[in-house]
Amino acid sequence: MNADKRFGYMDHARQALGLAATPFYWLADTPARVGGALGEIFVTRTELLDENARLREELMLSRQRLLLAESLAVENNRLLALRNASGLLEQEVLPAEIINVSPDPYSRRVLINKGGRDGVFEGQAVLEANGLMGQVVQIMPFSSWVLLITDASHSTPVEVSRNGERALARGSSDSDTELDLEFVIPTQDIEVGDSLISSGMGQVYPKNYPVAEVVSVRRSPGQPYATIRARPMAQVWSTRHVMLVLEAAEPDFPVLADETDSGADEETSLASVNSAN
Amino acid sequence: MAGSVPFNSLIVLSFVVAGLMAIMPLPEWAIYYRPEWVALVVVYWVVNNPERVGIGVAWMVGIMVDALTGSLFGLHALGLALVAWLALRLRLRLRLFTVYQQASLVFVIIGLQLLASQWLQILFDLPHGTSMVFLAPAVTSALFWPLAWILLRGAARSLKLK
Repeated sequence: MNADKRFGYMDHARQALGLAATPFYWLADTPARVGGALGEIFVTRTELLDENARLREELMLSRQRLLLAESLAVENNRLLALRNASGLLEQEVLPAEIINVSPDPYSRRVLINKGGRDGVFEGQAVLEANGLMGQVVQIMPFSSWVLLITDASHSTPVEVSRNGERALARGSSDSDTELDLEFVIPTQDIEVGDSLISSGMGQVYPKNYPVAEVVSVRRSPGQPYATIRARPMAQVWSTRHVMLVLEAAEPDFPVLADETDSGADEETSLASVNSAN
Repeated sequence: MAGSVPFNSLIVLSFVVAGLMAIMPLPEWAIYYRPEWVALVVVYWVVNNPERVGIGVAWMVGIMVDALTGSLFGLHALGLALVAWLALRLRLRLRLFTVYQQASLVFVIIGLQLLASQWLQILFDLPHGTSMVFLAPAVTSALFWPLAWILLRGAARSLKLK
């Protein structure tokens, strides 16, 4: 056990056994799949028409928002170019499906149907339609385990989209669905309702994806840190479809690349690195 | 031994089914109460066929469960080996008991397994529960023990009759 935990000697055995385990997951997932298939067969025409209309409406709204977002992205990139900083990269994604959840009630992990054969790598970021979901922690040939951001052993580097305050969002140990913001001193400006986005630090998650929304802030005098709770934007427990972020071109200056929002002197050094590049 | 091939395949099949039940997705409220199906099957076979299923087999089954659930290698192996050892020690007594008396001993055996794995999880800094809820599967396992017993005994007997 110690060998596995600390040195990773067992990775190959794990992969081989993981291959043997694949049919198990498939079988265990069967009831859910059959249920879903039956649900799809037994829908009435009106339900389908309703859904169709709703989806069309949603698509139109999303298109309109996308148009706006695109113009903003262009503008943003131009401004960043003016500042000589690196532009935002469009990220390619690989769709995947959740096929099981960890039977251990204390670890929040899910199994997805993409594995080493599909080019999944350890540490790959996983997104959901509404926000950040987690990262890949263990790869098997045809499936892999994803550690969710709500796991108590997982911290997500975030920043407040309103003002750029940074924090670490750690999965709460006493709530299934919430995050604790750690080491936030009481004077930091974080309010209820603030939306937290990924800050891109830690080199695991891409920048600027929505992570969570602050639901409660408690600053008690005498405590060194404020107690802040946030709820993830991603439908961590009710979605089946996720996206794996394919790696963008690796920058040569990994540490500075994600720090475009730091202090002024750092910015100038960043700019020089960029122009040198 | 005559009929040992179908018998061995019954043992394998029972562990496969137990493994499936162990990773079957459950609704959110139920995941804390999932019975330790594999441990129940280990206890049954150790009590009834100790020449076929012992501590070694339990260990290997545990390794498979570890691979299946993605947990730390050896966590379930140690737990199930402990279960097998306890069941071996208590075997003669268990055979004399009625199925409900057995259930109370099963509660103790699986409780000890859960306690051991809780200690290991704390030792290796793995995610673990902070309340006594971690013992809940012992209660549900004991409740499901009569069912497991009847099913497994029925299957084993139908094989022996042929």
